[in-house]
Amino acid sequence: MTALAEAIAAEKIGGRVWFYSNYHCNLQCSYCLTESAPLVKRRELGREAILERAREASALGFTGYGVTGGEPFILDYMPDLVAELGRELPTIVLSNATLFNERRLREIEPLADLPVHIQISLDHPDPVENDEMRGPENFRKVVEAIPKLVERGIGVRIATTLDDPDAADPEEQERLCELHRSMGIPDEDHVVRPVINRGRAVSNEMGVLAGFEQLEPELTLTADGAFYSPFAPTVRGGRLDTDLLVSRTTSPLSAAAGSLVRIADDLPAGHDASIGIR
Amino acid sequence: MSEEQDPEALVSLLGREQAPLLARRFYGEGTPSPITASLAQVPELLEVALPFVGAALGPAGLDERTKEIAILRTSALLECRYCVQTHTAVALDVGLSTGEVRALRGEGDLDEAFSDARERVMIAWIDAVALGRGPVAPELATRASEALEEHELVELTLAVSATLMLNRYCTALDLPTGADTLARLAAGGFA
Ligand code: SF4
Repeated sequence: MTALAEAIAAEKIGGRVWFYSNYHCNLQCSYCLTESAPLVKRRELGREAILERAREASALGFTGYGVTGGEPFILDYMPDLVAELGRELPTIVLSNATLFNERRLREIEPLADLPVHIQISLDHPDPVENDEMRGPENFRKVVEAIPKLVERGIGVRIATTLDDPDAADPEEQERLCELHRSMGIPDEDHVVRPVINRGRAVSNEMGVLAGFEQLEPELTLTADGAFYSPFAPTVRGGRLDTDLLVSRTTSPLSAAAGSLVRIADDLPAGHDASIGIR
Repeated sequence: MSEEQDPEALVSLLGREQAPLLARRFYGEGTPSPITASLAQVPELLEVALPFVGAALGPAGLDERTKEIAILRTSALLECRYCVQTHTAVALDVGLSTGEVRALRGEGDLDEAFSDARERVMIAWIDAVALGRGPVAPELATRASEALEEHELVELTLAVSATLMLNRYCTALDLPTGADTLARLAAGGFA
């Protein structure tokens, strides 16, 4: 067992390594951590770089992959890339599910036979409220896409992001759960999490403050380096946040992973890493 | 260093709020130096560069006075505004006289300011290492090895070399001198 595999087994750091494939997105949500939008700096990590790091991660003892952005499926090579990742380790891809036209759906069909899940954002059971934060027509596109994915046997999870989950209306939450169940998504594949007060959520005065003590250490690779968590490589006012940067070095991956373990070793006893992205 | 970023700056100096996790322990209690706050952009380099610079430029076999002579003289020869200003203040703090500091900065006569023969050889060595191309002249090398123990020559040469590295770093990135340092220099009649 490598030292890193031991750190993962001891739950010092998460077993999943995350890839920020890109930072641009067809949407522009009000709480977006990365200030993503169609014309922002793309900060694309690149297909080959992701595959190389993924192979290193697997050899080091990581147990899963995550892909996020921006919107990963805005990139043409994403269906193939996710399939390659899924053939190596269980993989989760975070998506807004608004780009699944017939061609894309055909391209992602091979994912049905792999341990791959697409985690889709759906925040509210009513279109008007949902679209307030995520943009016009978002609700319609998402509830149209999910059954098409489920039909094809592709693993789907739903992520609901709420400004304050504790203050959420239970009746609304129940309607949301009825909606996802009606689309074939069981309760265990529905996560509810708070808006994190980083990125665009800061400008819009939303969400909960999350320092590194509240976040699970999960190695997260971007075009700008290795970060502490998928909630870490955020952008505010066009500038990348560096407070949760681990290192600029991402290759060899063992160096970045070793630095993350060192940081995790120094976490105060009893810290409450209660916020995960999935 | 202010948490407010200068929009004109070539590189951002990372304030405490943006300091990467592995850089935080180098920030201490007060305001981080611009060298720390710029190197923090690459925390894995900061982690090795700062301890190295601290060891190379701090006292070891050679005392603080000698190290500051090496740093200030090298920085003056390389015309590094940041290092000259910062180490003018440090040199005064460790007891160099105003006349000695002015002479090392090229604003006074070195022979008048430094009467100690060993220090004069050291300054000649510093000048040769900082400005020279190719090997040091054999005659100076002989004088230096007579005046200094081998380990002292190693330490002095590394102090000059590390200063050269910092001089180019600070000058190329146009790092700002701290307001406190500028105020002190102005009060002492230094630019
Ligand atoms: S939250 Fe996701 S879908 Fe919304 S703008 Fe950001 S990256 Fe795009």
